[in-house]
Amino acid sequence: MSTIALALIPRAVALNLAIGAIVAALKLPVYLDSIGTVLVAALAGPLAGVITGVTSNLVLGMLSSPIFIAFIPVTAVIGVTAGIASRVGAFRSVPRALVAGMVIGLLAGATSVPIVLALFGGVTAGGTGIVTIVLRALDLPLASAALIASVSVDVIDKMLSCAVVAAVLARLPRRIGARFGLPHPAA
Amino acid sequence: MIARLRRINPLTAVAAAVLLVAMAYVVPAPVGPLAALALSLMLAAMTGAGRRVAILTAAVAVPTWGFLVVMNALVAPEGETIRVAGVAFAPGALVPAAWISLRLGAAVAALGWVVMTTPPQRLVRALAQRGLPAWSQYLLAASLAAVPEARRRAGEVLDAQRCRGLAVGGGPLARLRATLPLAGPLMVSLVTEAERRAIALDARAFDARGERTSLTEVADPDGERMLRMVMWGAVVGLVLWGFVR
Repeated sequence: MSTIALALIPRAVALNLAIGAIVAALKLPVYLDSIGTVLVAALAGPLAGVITGVTSNLVLGMLSSPIFIAFIPVTAVIGVTAGIASRVGAFRSVPRALVAGMVIGLLAGATSVPIVLALFGGVTAGGTGIVTIVLRALDLPLASAALIASVSVDVIDKMLSCAVVAAVLARLPRRIGARFGLPHPAA
Repeated sequence: MIARLRRINPLTAVAAAVLLVAMAYVVPAPVGPLAALALSLMLAAMTGAGRRVAILTAAVAVPTWGFLVVMNALVAPEGETIRVAGVAFAPGALVPAAWISLRLGAAVAALGWVVMTTPPQRLVRALAQRGLPAWSQYLLAASLAAVPEARRRAGEVLDAQRCRGLAVGGGPLARLRATLPLAGPLMVSLVTEAERRAIALDARAFDARGERTSLTEVADPDGERMLRMVMWGAVVGLVLWGFVR
């Protein structure tokens, strides 16, 4: 991994937390707390994406709540999938990024379900948990309700994250993009 | 004893927390999770973090219990039900919900004790002494140091955009549209700053091989090393027992 990728990862970890703070300040019904992970994966590839995701949740676990540590596999999946998506040019335009976000959201949501089932009994205290309860009221089995709730929230969240990253990459100075060994995303 | 516990090597604290988490999840309820919770809270109280750990534990465990009760006893009741104010209620769901929340609470208390009593930089130094690669040390230490700065900058960006007349109120879609002008400058500035940091790292021979030295050492007595080995052995034993049980 290049030095610039290593230098970017701590900034991206902080970005995850900072955007999370902005989103909380705006009282939005999404998280956008993987935006830094997606940004690093888009610029520096899957390995850097995984490292950013894992470090992000470790740091959140150390600074905020240990619960984040349990979701490290989810952030790793987001990092690797976003990195692979970047390699196939998914961040060269916003529409492509939306498709990548949908795939990332599906995989992230599916990865979080076993963790939610094992640790939380299938429901987390929050927006996703409310969706799970509504789906259970519609007679869906617990695992299916947890999967649909998790995937639906994650798909919207990751589509937005990827669209924001694609929009930002298009505005990034060409010199910076070149330092990551990538063609200019907008090219 | 208490003074010694406060000076414990962070790796010993991590091993103890992992053992308590394993105990909470492998030893049958209520004994396992209750014992793990009690021990975690006791350790936290002895190291001056009892109240904070108890609040953190309750903040996770109580809402989880509430959501589980609503889902399994009211919304989708399973097993025998009784009528409470005309609503079907499954009392049998209360106990499993309590055990799940108790396990979760014990895990949060155990890890929360480490998080709240161990300065992160000390943990990174202890890991470095045990052979953590230089790049991992940098990632952890720099990430921890970058968080306050990024939070401050997020606040500045939010204020600056509000001063320019950006509407951050309205419905969810309007607020969502306001996010890009807020997130964009933050992301671009962080990436460009990374370039400057990379140059600084290269200038300080970050890629150089060989053992690094540290100005400060974290004490790691032989007794604690032995204790850690015993605790990690117990974790492995518990996990194996959990599989065969």
